[in-house]
Amino acid sequence: MKTLLELALVLAAAAALLSVYRLIKGPEAFSRAVALDVLTLITMPMMAGLALWVRRSIYLDVALVYAVLSFLGVMALARYADRGV
Amino acid sequence: MNVDILTLMNLVDLLICLVVLVSAIGVAVHRNLLAAVVFAGVASLAVSYLFLRLAAPDVAMTEAAIGAGLSTVIFLIAVRKTRETEDGS
Repeated sequence: MKTLLELALVLAAAAALLSVYRLIKGPEAFSRAVALDVLTLITMPMMAGLALWVRRSIYLDVALVYAVLSFLGVMALARYADRGV
Repeated sequence: MNVDILTLMNLVDLLICLVVLVSAIGVAVHRNLLAAVVFAGVASLAVSYLFLRLAAPDVAMTEAAIGAGLSTVIFLIAVRKTRETEDGS
C-alpha cells in the first residue's frame, strides 16, 4: 500500500514536470497561466497523498486552503486577460 | 545514522525541487512581467509542497495563502497600473 502511494506520487511529480514544459515553452503569458492551473491540480492530490503517507489529517487542510486560494489567483489572471483586474 | 538516499519519496522531492529551480530561473529571466508573475506562483506552489514534506503544515498553509492567493493578485494589480514589459537595459 505504501509503495503504491509512493509510486503514485512519483508519477504525479513526473506529470508536474510535463506541465513545466508548457510553462517554459508557452508562447504567451496566458498559456503559462493554464500551466499554473494544471500544476495546482496536480499538486493538490500530491498533498492529499502525502497526508495519507504520513497519516496526519492536518495535511488535508493545507490542500483545501491551497485549492481555494489558487482558484482565486487563476481567476484574477483570467479577469486580467478579459479586461484587466 | 543510516540515511537511505534513493527512496521513491526522495525522488518526488527531487522532481519538485527541479520545478522550483526552473520557475525561479523563469522569474529572473523573463522580460514579460505577466509571465514572471505566473512563474512566481508556480515557485510558491512547489515551495508549499516542500514545506509540507518537511512536516510543517502551518508554514505550508501560510505560504499557500500569501504566495498563491495574495501576492499573485497584488502583483497583477501592480503590473496593470504600470506597464507590462520590462525594458532591456
